[in-house]
Amino acid sequence: MNQQALAYFAAGIGAGLTIIGGAAGIGRLAAAAMEGIARQPNAAGDIRGAMIVAAGLIEGVTFFALIVTILLAIK
Amino acid sequence: MKALLLLLQAPAEHAAEHAAGAEHAAEGAAHGGGPAEVLMHHVTDRVLYTIPVGPYHLLITKHLVFFVLAAVVVLIAARLAIRSYREGGVPTGIGAAVESFVLFIRDDIAEANIGHDGLKFVPLLCSFFFFILFAALLGLLPFSATSTGNIAVTLGLAIVSFLAMQYAGISKYGLWGHLKNLVPPGLPVFLLPIMIPVEILSVFTKPFALMVRLFANMLAGHMVITALLMLIPLMAAINAAFGWAVVPVSLGLALFIMVLELLVALIQAYIFTLLTAIFIGMFAHPAH
Repeated sequence: MNQQALAYFAAGIGAGLTIIGGAAGIGRLAAAAMEGIARQPNAAGDIRGAMIVAAGLIEGVTFFALIVTILLAIK
Repeated sequence: MKALLLLLQAPAEHAAEHAAGAEHAAEGAAHGGGPAEVLMHHVTDRVLYTIPVGPYHLLITKHLVFFVLAAVVVLIAARLAIRSYREGGVPTGIGAAVESFVLFIRDDIAEANIGHDGLKFVPLLCSFFFFILFAALLGLLPFSATSTGNIAVTLGLAIVSFLAMQYAGISKYGLWGHLKNLVPPGLPVFLLPIMIPVEILSVFTKPFALMVRLFANMLAGHMVITALLMLIPLMAAINAAFGWAVVPVSLGLALFIMVLELLVALIQAYIFTLLTAIFIGMFAHPAH
């Protein structure tokens, strides 16, 4: 296995791990937000706004990791 | 390493480095263009025209063209919206559409997160919102490029956002008060050596995160579309029947991602504007 193969290998594994993390984060967030909206439909607007901000933050961190994997794959 | 340089290329870079980049692209084409080369060719910047200015070269690149185009479209849309107010008092057509966004930015983004002094940031936030939205939508047209998919462009947006955050703090509390507000008051003295570097770092990570988020979102969508469409030649290289079989799958998925990109354009414009407003609010109303 040469170095380039290792880099591709790392990129693939890294992308998968990144998506597992991001999906777990956003999934938990959405589940909690939906439960909140179901319990308190009046607060749906506020909860949705807060959810989008938190989703944006999680997504940002996920993208940091994805860029690292892209750089591994194309360098 | 060259691919990294291409990815992070500034729109106004020196010609020599561009020549190196062009050679690299030509190399990729000569080798038949592997999947990675095709992907990178699709999302990286290209020089269309070079204007010599003294010892330097002003490069008209594809991203620069679409950057200016997005700004012009925003200006035209704003002018048309204002004109529809002048005529009847009740906005119609494009005026009504723009008005609903502007009202949303004023009431739900600026006032809700900055407070009443957030009104003076509404023009800035509206500019961010409409520019990011139009830049992303322009990028979905055929033969176009997403200028916000270039990290230099998002760096510029993030610097403006950073300056706005610092302006909000400094104009309200003065320079010294603003710096003192960075550290929460009532902190034990032995924590200060840890907290001061952490807080200084967080001042810079906020715009940095804005920059990377927008850049990666715009880049990722286009990379996914290209990768899906590239399945066709990859499968056709194995067997012509495989190639034909993958055409509907590939086109359907690419179309789905395109529609998703419409949504992402709106959401990213909203998130960039909202986070800028929240950060401005954090500096304008620190914990006390």
